[in-house]
Amino acid sequence: MNSEVALLDILKVSPMIVLFLVSLIPITVKVLRGNVEQAPMATLIQGLGGIIAAIVLMFFVHEVFMGLPAFSNALVFDGVTKWMGLIALFAAGGSLLLMYDNAATNGSQFSELMFLTLNCVVGMLILASAVDLLMVFIGLEIMSLSLYLMIGMSHEQKLSKEAAIKYFILGSFASAIFLYGVALLFGTVGSTYIPDVVAKTGDLIDTSRVFVFGISMVILGFCFKVSIVPFHMWTPDVYQGSPTPHTAFMATAVKAVSFAAFLRIMETKILIGSENLLDFLQWLAVITMIVGNVAAIMQNNFKRMLAYSSVAHSGYILVGVITTGVSDDVNFGAASVVFYLVAYALMTLGAFAVVALMERTEGTIVNIDDLAGYAKKRPGMALCLTMFMLSLAGIPPMVGFFGKFYIFTGAIGQGLIWLAVWGVLNSVISVYYYLRPIVVMYMKEGDPIEASTPMNATRVAIIVSAVMVVFLGLVSGPIFEIFEKAL
Amino acid sequence: MLLTAVVFLPLLFSLIIGLWPTEKNLRPLALGLALIEFVVSLVILQRFDSATASLQMVEQYPWIERFGISYFFGVDGLSLWLVLLTTFLQPIVILGSWNSIQKSMKGFQVCMFVLQTAMLGTFLAMDAVFFYLFWELSLIPMYFLIGIWGGPRRIYATVKFFIFTMFGSVLMLVAIIYMMYLTQDAFGQMSASLLDFYKLDIPFVGGQFFSLQTLLFFAFALAFAIKVPVFPFHTWLPDAHVEAPTPGSVILAGVMLKMGTYGFMRWTIPMFPEAAQYWAWLFMMVGVIGIIYGAVVAMVQPDFKKLVAYSSVSHMGYILIGLFAFNEFGLGGGLYQMLNHGISTGALFLLIGMIYERTHSREISRYGGLAAVLPVFSICFFIITMSSIGVPLTNGFVGEFLVLLGTFKAEPVFAYVAVSGVVLGAVYMLWMFKRIFFGQPGELVKDTHHPLHDLSWREIAVMVPLIIMVFWMGVFPGTFLNYSRASIDHMVQTKGKYNLTIQTPANNPNSQVVIQANVGAH
Repeated sequence: MNSEVALLDILKVSPMIVLFLVSLIPITVKVLRGNVEQAPMATLIQGLGGIIAAIVLMFFVHEVFMGLPAFSNALVFDGVTKWMGLIALFAAGGSLLLMYDNAATNGSQFSELMFLTLNCVVGMLILASAVDLLMVFIGLEIMSLSLYLMIGMSHEQKLSKEAAIKYFILGSFASAIFLYGVALLFGTVGSTYIPDVVAKTGDLIDTSRVFVFGISMVILGFCFKVSIVPFHMWTPDVYQGSPTPHTAFMATAVKAVSFAAFLRIMETKILIGSENLLDFLQWLAVITMIVGNVAAIMQNNFKRMLAYSSVAHSGYILVGVITTGVSDDVNFGAASVVFYLVAYALMTLGAFAVVALMERTEGTIVNIDDLAGYAKKRPGMALCLTMFMLSLAGIPPMVGFFGKFYIFTGAIGQGLIWLAVWGVLNSVISVYYYLRPIVVMYMKEGDPIEASTPMNATRVAIIVSAVMVVFLGLVSGPIFEIFEKAL
Repeated sequence: MLLTAVVFLPLLFSLIIGLWPTEKNLRPLALGLALIEFVVSLVILQRFDSATASLQMVEQYPWIERFGISYFFGVDGLSLWLVLLTTFLQPIVILGSWNSIQKSMKGFQVCMFVLQTAMLGTFLAMDAVFFYLFWELSLIPMYFLIGIWGGPRRIYATVKFFIFTMFGSVLMLVAIIYMMYLTQDAFGQMSASLLDFYKLDIPFVGGQFFSLQTLLFFAFALAFAIKVPVFPFHTWLPDAHVEAPTPGSVILAGVMLKMGTYGFMRWTIPMFPEAAQYWAWLFMMVGVIGIIYGAVVAMVQPDFKKLVAYSSVSHMGYILIGLFAFNEFGLGGGLYQMLNHGISTGALFLLIGMIYERTHSREISRYGGLAAVLPVFSICFFIITMSSIGVPLTNGFVGEFLVLLGTFKAEPVFAYVAVSGVVLGAVYMLWMFKRIFFGQPGELVKDTHHPLHDLSWREIAVMVPLIIMVFWMGVFPGTFLNYSRASIDHMVQTKGKYNLTIQTPANNPNSQVVIQANVGAH
């Protein structure tokens, strides 16, 4: 591998560079002022400014360098990079709004949090654009290391520390397994560049057990990150324990980019070669859907319920990933995954934001029953939450329905009808628990707790998400086509 | 533009109501808007060309081009009257619920109008995905109507309603997607248009359940059967009816159940002709079981709302056997019976609501001798009872007679059994009537602290249009059947190879819409 760094390469990664530089501003200011925080609003504006700059650069970079590699084929700038990166950036922007308001995060360490968040996003952008397995690993680790710290940031909540430790230990295991898989692949293929792996897959899949082991381990590493059952055990605890804005951040941005890298692995067509692996992944999708949905029914804690629902949604998305892996028309499957992730990011961010509205202190635990009477007290917010829930359940005309529609259309097109049938039956199960918050809000009397501050930034995030949930549903067709052409 | 206006005006109205600054004057406003909607829908009737079976007033624009999904409305003889039934019942229901709905009026009216859009869309959409959109959308407002304004067990009832109906419809979604792929194979381009679905030739293997057409047929049939509801899937209906507020019950029984039977008529039977023929015995059997079972169970209900709910199960059974008789009498009678049931059961629920407002009890045993106290109410109730039983000169007679005639021609055995349902229907309705209105005055009637008042002018105004319809439809069925005849005849004649054409602007001066070239040239 010859490693020459040209000016063009720097330009291509300019969104990441900008984010990194911006992330330094708040803590530099803090150091210069003798460990005194600047106004949180200033930090927020800097952070959002960085994200907006990165979004603009992202469009620019992809306008100019579409499909080109950078840094000696370590990174590539194609449709997946662009759209998954944009999902991550938008989700991060929304999460920052939540962090600004939340009692657990906006205390004396908001500058450090901004640094961590933006660097996490840098890791995400690397992950989304990596075409070399080692680069994938680097992106994954930059992202995860920031996350470990972010999860443990709450001072009051013991659960937060527990979650951080749990995520750290299990995450390290997963990374190790992933790296082991990469090593095996390197041993058999002689390269960690994904297109090289693709080229050799046809030969090696039947002849080399080691190769199959390697690629399976790489896949398992991703299964952990996107919480596919049975690698989901950390999800409920971590989602519940982390400060709510961080949960929203993890459920949306982290999931999106992890699936981006997952998609790149799937594009190796490994599934066409190996029937067993295909069967195995299909069963994982099936189990993930049912475990996520059934477990979510039992939950009373709102965040835990959303965590299990996130597991279930990973199952739906995995169906799309499998479709991508088996079809000749890669774009269609990938576009359905991207569209689903956009939809999922919007509605999940919104739902967690509503939870955040109800957290009076760092230690507040929001149960579903606490929503009683919320519709009377805050009709607007209750309506928004209703939309998010219906969208998560896949009721038209919300965007969640179209996400499922495209995923299952892809699956049926590839003959994976049983996955589609299983998916839709699971969405019926999911209706039961998604309706519960609505039932409690509208049909029960009560006096819901609320945060003492007005939390205007969070409200903005909620309203924007709610509008998008309906709007994107109605114009889903053209958007899907944009994705399909771009990928 | 006409159909778009008819479907989406209620949505606009719901916005107006939602943004209306005060709670005052909300009821007259809602009533006025519902009347406007009714008048607009009458324009469809006026422009409708009853001589042709093809689809009229078509509006088709591409929506999700990638999958051939279009924004596609059209009306023909099958949907015309259901649309008018929907718009006709809306003002009546709003007037009927004038005093009974006090809690968050605004939300209630918004739900009612959103529901109206969903139901009209279901009847008029001619694109499978577009149809599915309205079909599912109708669940949300009804879910709130039952859940917020319902009775004590409302939450159980509303969640059951939602999940039952959703369960049926998701399999239909899979079937729709599959059929979109079939159109791609057949015509080279994906399409979700119903007209293209009709043109598909789906392989059918008789006797084999796991064959393509049979599976698709059952995927659609299940969705509609749950909505109707057909016998083993009916359990959500009594719960939903009993817990729903009066307006919810009226719309549920009057229009929403017809979405199921309309689905059979528009989608399942014409799309899968061989499977429908082959499995007709099954649907006739469950239809007949539903007729008898619903009637027998209705007989023993102590709660008159539940009694009427079970009578719905029985009546919907008639519609089902009529549809699966596949002849002009059966189909015509089935369609007519849909309207009858909407009018008479809707009216029954309204009357029950009126008496419930006065006494707050629905137990039959606590009534008795009501006829002496409330003469006008009793007369109204009597007329509607007669209509529900199907006494000649009322609308019920025409529908039941046609259905039984059609069934007799097709499958005499089922007709023999189904006829007994007519007798049973008379038994439970008349027995209930006797227990409530005649005999010794019951405890509620004797109660001198709360003397009962006869119907007010508002309530009479609610009942008069319904009673007029009962007799009009009973004495001059031709007025209504003539509009549907061409469509029904066309359906019977093309049995096995149903097709539907779009009326072109050339032969209809009223239609200004440019019709897009449709997929499907073989």
